[in-house]
Formats: sequence, structure tokens, C-alpha cells
Amino acid sequence: MEFVANSRDVRLFQRSSNVVRTVAAVVFLVGSTVPFMYALARLELVTEWSAWEALIRFSSVDGAVQALQFTLLESLASSLLTVAFGLPIAWCLSRYQWRRIRLLRAMLAVPFVTPAIVASMGFLSLLRPDGVLAKCGIDLRLETGIIGWFADASGWANPGHFVALILAHAWFNLSLMIRFVEPMLASLDPAWEEQLSLLPAGQRRLTRIRTLWLPILGPAVLCAAALSFLFSFTSFALVKWLTPNNSNLESLMAEAGSSAGIIGYRVDSSELIYSTALVQFLILLLTLWLTAQFQKQYSQRLSLLSEVDVRKHHGTPPLAAKLTILAGGVFTLSPFISTLFSSFRIRQITDGATEHVWTLDGWRNAWSGDLSTMGAQEAMTHSLIYAVCTLIVALPLGWILASTIYHLEQSGWSKSSKGLDLMCMLPLAVSALMIGLGVLLGGLRWYPGMFDWFLLPVYPHVLLTVPFVVRVMLPAYHSLDPAFHEQCRMLNLSHIRSWYHGKLMFMRGHAVVAGSLTLAFSLGEFGASWLLVRSGSWDTLSIVIDQLMGRPKFDPLVNPTAMAAASMLMMLTFGLFVLAERFRPHDDRSGF
Amino acid sequence: MNLKVFSILGILLLSSLSGCLSGDSNDEEVTLKILTYDINALSDELIGQFTNQTGIQVEFIRTDDAGGILDQMMLTQSAPLADLMIGLDNTYLPTAIENGLLMEHSASMDNFTSSSLEFYQGPLAIPFDEGDVCLNYDEDALAAANMTVPTSLWNLTEPEWNGKMAFPSPMTSSPGRAFLTATVDYFSHAPGNESGNMSQWWSSIADNNAIFTSGWTEAYETYYTGGYGIWSEGYLGGAYLTVSYCHSPGVEAFYSENYTHSTSLVLPRASFHQVEYAGIINGASEVEAANLFIEFLTSSEVNVNMPENNLMYSILEGTDLPETNGYRFHADDAIQSNAITQAMIEQSMDDWLAEWQEAVRTN
Repeated sequence: MEFVANSRDVRLFQRSSNVVRTVAAVVFLVGSTVPFMYALARLELVTEWSAWEALIRFSSVDGAVQALQFTLLESLASSLLTVAFGLPIAWCLSRYQWRRIRLLRAMLAVPFVTPAIVASMGFLSLLRPDGVLAKCGIDLRLETGIIGWFADASGWANPGHFVALILAHAWFNLSLMIRFVEPMLASLDPAWEEQLSLLPAGQRRLTRIRTLWLPILGPAVLCAAALSFLFSFTSFALVKWLTPNNSNLESLMAEAGSSAGIIGYRVDSSELIYSTALVQFLILLLTLWLTAQFQKQYSQRLSLLSEVDVRKHHGTPPLAAKLTILAGGVFTLSPFISTLFSSFRIRQITDGATEHVWTLDGWRNAWSGDLSTMGAQEAMTHSLIYAVCTLIVALPLGWILASTIYHLEQSGWSKSSKGLDLMCMLPLAVSALMIGLGVLLGGLRWYPGMFDWFLLPVYPHVLLTVPFVVRVMLPAYHSLDPAFHEQCRMLNLSHIRSWYHGKLMFMRGHAVVAGSLTLAFSLGEFGASWLLVRSGSWDTLSIVIDQLMGRPKFDPLVNPTAMAAASMLMMLTFGLFVLAERFRPHDDRSGF
Repeated sequence: MNLKVFSILGILLLSSLSGCLSGDSNDEEVTLKILTYDINALSDELIGQFTNQTGIQVEFIRTDDAGGILDQMMLTQSAPLADLMIGLDNTYLPTAIENGLLMEHSASMDNFTSSSLEFYQGPLAIPFDEGDVCLNYDEDALAAANMTVPTSLWNLTEPEWNGKMAFPSPMTSSPGRAFLTATVDYFSHAPGNESGNMSQWWSSIADNNAIFTSGWTEAYETYYTGGYGIWSEGYLGGAYLTVSYCHSPGVEAFYSENYTHSTSLVLPRASFHQVEYAGIINGASEVEAANLFIEFLTSSEVNVNMPENNLMYSILEGTDLPETNGYRFHADDAIQSNAITQAMIEQSMDDWLAEWQEAVRTN
């Protein structure tokens, strides 16, 4: 009798779980695709082009082909540079016993969640004519010295700007390489290397690479490179500030974005957005599909040994490894330090002579809000409120979606699982501008009152962060041993307690990482701005930085104030990441 | 450690809930929604002053520039999100009026300068600041390169100016659009029209490798050698001449202890008198509050500070730029500003933009 009741109970629980999973999937898919479809429909109405026509006419849109060429070139170069910089760092980080390794990881990972506008300011201050790089003879901004000579010799216009951009993208995506490669190498049985060295194939470095390292590291490197390509492809602020003479597809759309979708007005803008958004969508969809393929190969490789044992085997790092990590640290921290320095420097002109003096005025102004709609303290509170609200929605939603993908996979619904996995990544492939346009037009038509709701920016934040939560939680499900949950059930624990002891306890590390990532992304995100609605009463710290950077800087205080606000945001993000690293499981292969 | 983390998260959660609750408790308050770009004049302090005087809360919906305001108004015409717009200038205003985007205000314009009312005096929009858009050049750079100061816009098409000019695009920038309008005026009259028209001039300028940027900030801050940009992160330089305001050198001097090497190029009809307007959006829900804000913005206690707060002239009679640090001394007056009317802009702006685009594209 008790058995019957239990099996009925299990069926009921499974049914409810399925309902929850279905609802979560439907809510997310509707939330992320309907605005895009709605925007497409409006653009079709305005331009009187079908989607096919919009694709065909892409080459006739002013500046579109050049933008596409530049986007592909910079994304590819950025991916290669990310691999070139990231692989040695990941290699060194994974093979030895490092002191304070969590802090090192946090330091190398924090650029990934740094708001793009802060990153741009950091790089610009690093590249300024009186900056460290220029003093070393590498003037990437004004392109004098060796860069100027190279530009003249090669006939390449602005190579310095291009190098600065791909360096910034490599800086941004460095953590992808570390997150994908490090767990793989850190748990690789050292016996493999030793055994190979005894075989003929292991006598030469080239054959060792071909026989062992390429099959082991190849998928991880390809995963990181593909994602790096994706993020470089959709980069906007870095392109705008670092390569002012070139546009990528995203910046091209941003320029025309506000006048798109209006019937009978600036139809050229709608044509540009329609064509460009579709081309971008198709390319990014292909990239996501490739990433998923690489990730599948990557996740099939299992941890072979405990990370602690492997590290112990390799011992303390040699000097070359220490220097590599030091170089990585300097590369990562330089833009931050440069931004921090700029927040204390203010120009002063006396009798036509300019000098820079050190002052705390920028910090005082940022805190009090004398040059912006509000002070940093208030803006930071708003940022935290949005971040927490995003966390409350995105973490459970992403978690449920990851669980759904895993359960579909386990139940033999492989295609549905892959399809849902790809759909969860869709917000990364769709131009933010298109979603913003769709939300605005749809909202105006069906429920204009929604724009009065101060929590509206949480919506885009959720769309942006859920794919990352899914990516972090999915490997957690893959590494979970179902036996624990079954044992809990055999002990006749309730569903909640079984879930708690059999699943949650093994996944909490991943959940904390996903949570901190969500908080960090939300803190730096301009979600509200692409919704075309920014409420002055609810400005976030990112928006205050944007406001300050957009002001004419006749007043010498504007720049240090913007830099001070950016420094505050950097510190907040860095603090969150250090906190998250304490919980990161050693086998986390999320890539973030 | 876990306890600490959960405590922090708990505090954050509670603070978010307190935010939600405080939002609900303000339901009875009147909230005025203002659609604007990042106008410097609308500081936190100023808004606080308005709220203290009237009890009306203010929220902003921000766009990047004046063009963004018009776009937003057009896009949300059926269900406006804001009550008041602040920042459309006289190159955009006719389009807004033509499309019925504005409704009548009740503010008085008694003490306004004639120049601010010259372009539009109707009840749908009210000026709140003004200034002349014109070319600025770097005196030191010209002297160092042994170049002569242009006496005609055609001089800029000569080889010595090759690659040394930066223009904000009229498609995306309001000073850019204002200068395009000035060139229409310039080439419609002597002496500009002696050897061609506006379209030919822009074509020659593009041919002379002029730099075109999406906004004023990029042109002035990134490329112009005569302005504050030279001290900014991201400065590239190379342009000895750009589009700004005739009083921009005054602003430079004001913030640099009476020092500037930038000056304005005051050629007859080569400038455009820009007036920025506030107006109540058609379909606004808080019309009374919007009128009160317009009165506040154009009141002498607020508007007289426009030169310092918004780096533009006040529209009130008897006001001028401050003399501090050479602000007024370095600011030039435009000669014979344009004769472009509201009707001409309403009728021809799209054609001018198309002409400009074609002229620049073919080169």
C-alpha cells in the first residue's frame, strides 16, 4: 500500500517537474524570440522587403559590406590572439601548485564581466600619448614611431587602432581560454605524458603535440575561440572608442538604430537595420552551433585524476611559469590600474601651460553626483537592486532550463535537447537593438503601462544572463552522479530533502558561480538603454558612467569623475568575482 | 563564510524589496516624464529645486541627441512615454510640428530675445537656449603649418586642407545638421554661390579627405586639435577645423584660466543660429506639470545660468555670457546668420540630407 502511494507520489512529482520545466522553457523562448520576431515584422512593414530580400540587398546597404569585412577580420584576429595569449597562461596556471590560485583566477577572469565602456576607458587611458605604452615606443593611438613606420611601409590605414582593438578583445576573452583549458589540463593524469615519452611518437615535440595535446586540448581551445569570436563579433563600445575610423555590424546598427521601425520616416535606417540584423543573426547562429559541437566533444572528456594530486605531481611553478602568469596579471590589471590613476589626475592650465595634478575631486564628484543625475552611492544601490532582482529570476530560470536540457538528453530526446540548448543561447545571437525595438513596439501596442515599471530593465538583464547560467549549470548536471539522489530516495527522504542532499549539495558551487556571474553581468549591463527607456530616478552606475563619458569635457573635472565612477564599478565587480572563486568547483568546465 | 555570503545576499534582497515598496508608496505623487538627451543643465540640484517648489517628481527618458528625441517621439506617437521634450533644435522642430507630435503650452515668452523667437513663435514649442553653430579652427596649428585662415568655404577644398577637417554627420548629429543648413544658406547667396552649390562643395570636401563622424563629440574631442580633446583619452587629432559653436572658444577659455588656441571662423552666412526648444508632447498625461517645468526652465533664476550650466546662451533679454576667464571675450558673434525658415526646413530637410549623403557617398 505504501509502495503504491510512493509510486503515485513519484509520478505526481515527475509530472509537476515536467510542468515547471515546460513552463520555464516556454517563458524563456517566448521572452527571447517574440520581441525579435516582432521587430522583424515591423521592419518588413516599413521597408516592404521580405526577409529574403533584406538578405539579398545587404550588399547595397551603405557601408554594410565594409562593416561585415571589418567585423569578420577583427573577430577572427581577436580569437587567434585570445588563443595565443590564453593558452600559455592556462597551461601554466593548470600544471603547478600556485599560492592563492583562486585570487589569480579571479584576477584573470574579471575582464570578462567588466562593462565594455569601462574596458574602453581603461584601454584608452593606457594608450594615451603620455602613457606607458607610448613611452615604450608603441604608440597604438596616434601611430607614431614604429607603428607609424609599419603603417607607412605596409600601406595599411590605422594598424595601431586594429591592434589595440584585438588586444582589448583578447583581454576581454582571456578568461574563456583559462576556464575551458585549465580544468582539462589540471586533471590530466601525468602518467599519460610519461608513458608517451617512452614511445616513439613521444620522442619529438611535434609528434607529442599531435598525439596527445591536440586531441586533449583541441576541443577546449576551439570552444574558447568560437565564443571569443562571438563576443568580438558583437562588440560595440570597444569598436566605437578604439577604432573610430571603422564600424562593425553592431556599431553600424547602433548609429541608425533609433530611427528604425518608423513608418514613412527614415526608411533607409530600417533597411540598414533589417539587412544587417539578419546577416548578423545568421552568422552568430552558425557560430553558436559550432560552439555547441565543440563543447560536446569537450564535455565528453572526463576528469581522470584529482586536481590536487596532479598539481602536487608537477610541484611548484618554475620561473618561466611564474613570469607567464605575471605577464598575464600585468596585462589583465593594466587597464584597471590606468583607469584608477586617471580618476586621480586632473588637467590644470596656467598661463597656457598644461600640467596634471593629483586630486580626489573626481571621487568626490562621482560620489556626490555633481556632474550626473545622481551620486555613485545612489546609482550603486540601484545597480545592486537590479542585479539582485536579475539573480532572483535568472538563476532559477537558467537552472531549470539546464535541468530540462539534461533530462531531455538522458531520456533519449537528443535532438530536442540540442535544440533547446541552442535556443537558450539565442539572446547572444540576436542584436540587442532588435530586441529593444521589439519590446518597445510590442509594449506600446499591448501594454504601454509596462514602461512605467521601474523593474523593466531586469527583463533584458535576465535575457542576457540566462544563457550563462545554463552554460554553468549544465556541466554540473553532467558531472552529477545520479546514484546520490537514488540513495536519498531509498532512504525514504522527501522529494525536497532528496533534492537537497542528492543534488543541491553537489551543485551549489556551480550555482554560486552562476549567481556571481549573473550579478556581475547585470551590474555592468546597459540593458535599459537598449530598451530605449532610461528612468532618471533609477539610473544605474553603468548609466551614470555612460552619462559622464557622453558629456562635453570642457570642464576638466568630467573625465576624472567618470573614471572614478568606473573604478567603483570595477571594484564592486572584482569583489564579487573573488567571492565567487571561493566556491568554484575544481571541475567546473562552464568556460566562464 | 557561507553565512556571510547569505547575509550579504539577504541584505541585497531586502534592499531590493524596500525599493519596490518605496516605489508603490509614491503612487499619489505627480511624476513628470521628460524626454531629453544628456542636457548638462538638468542637474540633480536643479531638479531637486523644481521638486521642492512644486512637489512634482521628475523622471527622464534619455536619448543620445536631439535626433534621438525626434526618433523616439515618432516611434511612440501612438502611446507617448513622456510628457515633455527638451532639446529639439530648430532643424528638427519643423518635422515634429509637421507630424503633430507637440501640443500647445501656456508659458509666457515676454522677456525672450528676438533671436530666439525669430525662427518659431508659435504655441507648440518654447526656446530655452540658443547659440550659433559655426566652424572652429586651431590658430596655433594653422600658424605652425603656415596656413592661411579661410575667407571662403571654398578655401577648405584646397589641397592644404586635405585631411585636416572633421565634420559631424548631419544624418546623426544636430550641430552637423545645423551646419548643413548653414551651407544651404551660404551657397544660395553671394559670395558662396559664385562657383557651385552646396552639393558640389560637400562633394569637394569629401574629396579633400575630410573626416566625417557620427556626432559632435567624436569630431571635437577625438579629432580637433584646438579643443580640450588634446587632453582626453582617445584623442587622435589631425583636424585643424571642425564644427562647433561660435562661443566654444569662450567655453574653452572659461575652463582653462582664460587660455585657448581655438577660435571661430566667422564667415557671412556660414553659421546657423541654433535654438533649442522645450515642448509638451501630444498625448501627454501631465500637461500642467509640463507647463510648470517649462516656466521653471525659462524663469530668470534658472535660464540666466545657461552659459555655465548648458554651455549655451540664455534666451532672456538682457543676459550675456559671463566675463569670467574670458568666456565672453573669446566668444564670437555670427555675421549675418542664415535666412533659412521653418517652412524651408519642413519642406526641404529630407532633400538636403539626401543630397548631402549622395555628395559624400560618391566620393
